Amino acid sequence: MPVEQFEDESINKGSKKPSESDMLYYYKRLLPFRQIFQWLSHSPKPTKDFTFREFAYEHRSGAYQRYNSYTSLEDFKQTVINANPTRFEIGAVYKINPKDRKNLPKSVMKPVSKELVFDIDLTDYDDIRTCCQGTDICCKCWKFIQVGSKIIEFSLRQDFGFQHLIWVFSGRRGAHCWISDIRARNLDENSRRSIVEYLDILGKNGNKKSIKKPYHPHIERSFEILKNEFNNIVLTDQDPWFTDSTMSSDSKNWKCVDDLLSFIPNKELSKELKSKWQKDIHSTSKDKWEDINTIASKVLKSKSEVNYLNDAKKDIIIYFMYPRLDIEVSRQIIHLLKSPFCIHPGTGNVCVPFNPFKNISDNKEDDEYGFNPLNSPNIRDIQNELENYNKGNNELHDWEKTSLKPYIEYFSHFVNELTKEELKKRSRDNENENNLEF
Amino acid sequence: MFRQVKRRTAGRRNFEESNNKKLDYDLPKLYSCRLSFYDLPPTREITLEEFEKWAIDRLKILIEIESCNARSKSLKEIESSIRGLLLKYLPLSENQNIEERMKDHYSHYILRLVFCRTEELRKKFIKNETILFKVRYNSLQPREQQEFIELNKYKLSSWEYVTPQEKSELFDKLFASSYLMLKSHFLSGGENLTYDEVKQHVLIKENFIKLPFEKITNLVGTRSIYLHNGYGYLPTSLQLNLLSIEFQENLSLQLMKTFQTIPRLEEDDRLLPLLNNLSKSFSSFKYDTEMDPALISDINATSITSNSISKHFPLCAKHLQNNLIANSHLKYGGRQQLGLFLKGIGLNVDEAIKYWSHQFTKGGSMTVDTFNKEYKYNIRHQYGLEGARINYKPWDCSTILSKPRPNKNEYHGCPYRDFSIDKLVSSLNSMGINDQQELNSIVDDVGRHDYTIACTRVFELTHKSQIKNSQDSHINHPNLYFDRSRLLERGQNKEA
Repeated sequence: MPVEQFEDESINKGSKKPSESDMLYYYKRLLPFRQIFQWLSHSPKPTKDFTFREFAYEHRSGAYQRYNSYTSLEDFKQTVINANPTRFEIGAVYKINPKDRKNLPKSVMKPVSKELVFDIDLTDYDDIRTCCQGTDICCKCWKFIQVGSKIIEFSLRQDFGFQHLIWVFSGRRGAHCWISDIRARNLDENSRRSIVEYLDILGKNGNKKSIKKPYHPHIERSFEILKNEFNNIVLTDQDPWFTDSTMSSDSKNWKCVDDLLSFIPNKELSKELKSKWQKDIHSTSKDKWEDINTIASKVLKSKSEVNYLNDAKKDIIIYFMYPRLDIEVSRQIIHLLKSPFCIHPGTGNVCVPFNPFKNISDNKEDDEYGFNPLNSPNIRDIQNELENYNKGNNELHDWEKTSLKPYIEYFSHFVNELTKEELKKRSRDNENENNLEF
Repeated sequence: MFRQVKRRTAGRRNFEESNNKKLDYDLPKLYSCRLSFYDLPPTREITLEEFEKWAIDRLKILIEIESCNARSKSLKEIESSIRGLLLKYLPLSENQNIEERMKDHYSHYILRLVFCRTEELRKKFIKNETILFKVRYNSLQPREQQEFIELNKYKLSSWEYVTPQEKSELFDKLFASSYLMLKSHFLSGGENLTYDEVKQHVLIKENFIKLPFEKITNLVGTRSIYLHNGYGYLPTSLQLNLLSIEFQENLSLQLMKTFQTIPRLEEDDRLLPLLNNLSKSFSSFKYDTEMDPALISDINATSITSNSISKHFPLCAKHLQNNLIANSHLKYGGRQQLGLFLKGIGLNVDEAIKYWSHQFTKGGSMTVDTFNKEYKYNIRHQYGLEGARINYKPWDCSTILSKPRPNKNEYHGCPYRDFSIDKLVSSLNSMGINDQQELNSIVDDVGRHDYTIACTRVFELTHKSQIKNSQDSHINHPNLYFDRSRLLERGQNKEA
């Protein structure tokens, strides 16, 4: 199963890499096994949803070990501690216990259910990001994830009617969304594919050409969200179309400008714009966005031409800001994905859940971002926090003494809501069954 | 007659009274709608005559649909070409005519028995029944369509009609989601509506149903419908596709069940021969060649190369035989196509071996021994005397068109598809078609890939003088071409 790559590990702050003993310490004292267990079991007790679930380890040696499964919470915790992997991933629930697969014919090893998952990764934004490239991120480019996760969440809740979904920081430059509704868990691959395709309005490699009119309500709603952020994120923060007289015509910025011009439906207008911008000594993205309107008012004659331009401008906003999704992750039931609260082996960051609409860390500075990946809990920091905690209060869990606290509480709340509904449903089913008995 | 049949069934164990009562439904209720998913099997007794007649009548319609389909006609065209047949053989009027509905119901179930036996038959039956279902659904009044869905709610439990209030509240969103799909839907029906016309249509005529999005994943993926809270909103104009999928899946399941229970019927000595007969004589809805010994007396190894016989060949067979004669050889595809065609016109296996061995050895490049060693098996195989011993049937046009096209030095296939225009025109000239307008219309058919229509046109042109009343009959089988040509000739001789 392909997993995130670790390019440039040595250059990229190698010191941040957690050691074997760091990991053991974390698994023993901090990782919230109980919450993860209950989330996957949909009950405080072990159910088949948990015991027939595949887990995979990535070991320090690079070896990848699939088809682990556990009988209980204690088994789960103890086995992970013994194996001490750099991280563990969550797969599907199978028809049989994945451990037994060797004794049984291959055909019975069928995936039955799994959370619907989505993966947004900032590397897919490299053509528009000017602040960072590759595996680097900063608060500026995290805004793409922020707005993207809002759009996905709106659609999943309003269009598909899902309720139990949670976003998890992938530890470096992306975010995962897990949807745990029973209806989502039981979707077949066809339905999963149709949902990603529904959401993936840009299509493969960002299909540039204009989006069909009239906009589908989902696209219209997404546009309404994006247009408010466009000025801030693209024109101001990223400023991808900035040019000045020193830049050569084959620089990245000019390529971006050509990209922008390719959306303009009117040939004459696009020619006029380019020649103006080539003469400009200093022209920012904001200037250019305004230029489109000023020049258009001179060049365009008919009302329909103006309408086409307005449509194109909407397309531009969507094209540069709409979330870019990894389709395979969502489509395949058996696809594995890093568990929440794992440590990212490259950065040492904890894969904490976050709320795209509201900052949940106790740090007021982060409120502006909603979630600030740069201030998110790191294995080093929380170790120190725990070591330096000297109030002597033994009633508390270890994680409550660290900055993990708000994240684990947020996750617990999510798990409790899910379990409540699941138990309600189960007792309803039992009742129905009992009614059938005479 | 009727009484006798009754008496004979009385003692049969599967017709015991007690058994019968349990399954008796209220007929008016069962037949309350013209259209049906045929969920409940018929239980009333009918006579053997009815049994046979109803089955044959329904079969006639299905055969016509199959033939329309082979000519890749659109649903609209099929509708118009079976309208007359439907009225004659299987009418379903709006008033509560129980007789008609019973006939429809029983004939469907009888044909299930006939067509459940092999995968190929099942597929054909499902395809044609589904088209019939679509045609009939389209002929229902909108009110009846809604009633039909209401009536079948138990199986379409996930369907729900959107109330007028909800529709008007969501109008902009419903329209924005479905506009493109509706537009192309009308376009495929031959209507090119403007943006505003589609809007008017949605506003006034269109109803919406909502159903769980998992049921319509293909429409979700293309963003062709409005989604809210896990439900997709589908315009009623497009719901027929869904209904027909439901119909198709249901029927395919039921046919398998019928197939599995058919052994229990084998003990019945009245129905079985009838069913066998039906499935045999119409076996794949294909044109079957009749073998009247009197008519094939003049077919033998030498006569078939003579003009008196070969002038009745369609172009494909002519082309094959000419090349066989010229090259003293024919590759496998050609041997199959020509060999089975000749078998179909009445050439028996001994004459066939004589014919092929003469043709292959006459050039001197092959000895009779080699022929016997390498090709005799092939000929005998065609006649079902070797290997799997299947009695192979002559290829019909759709089989010929579905095979790989001929490579260099191969001559099988359909000349209307495989010839260059120049070569086709010169072949047509040699068949006596010289009128430029006529040639153009044939070339036009070919351009539209209507190869069998082109061939039918050629038949009509070359038999102009013999065809009295223009029967609008389509040629979809080389042997049909041959037999009809001979028939016309005989008719002419009789008159003379």
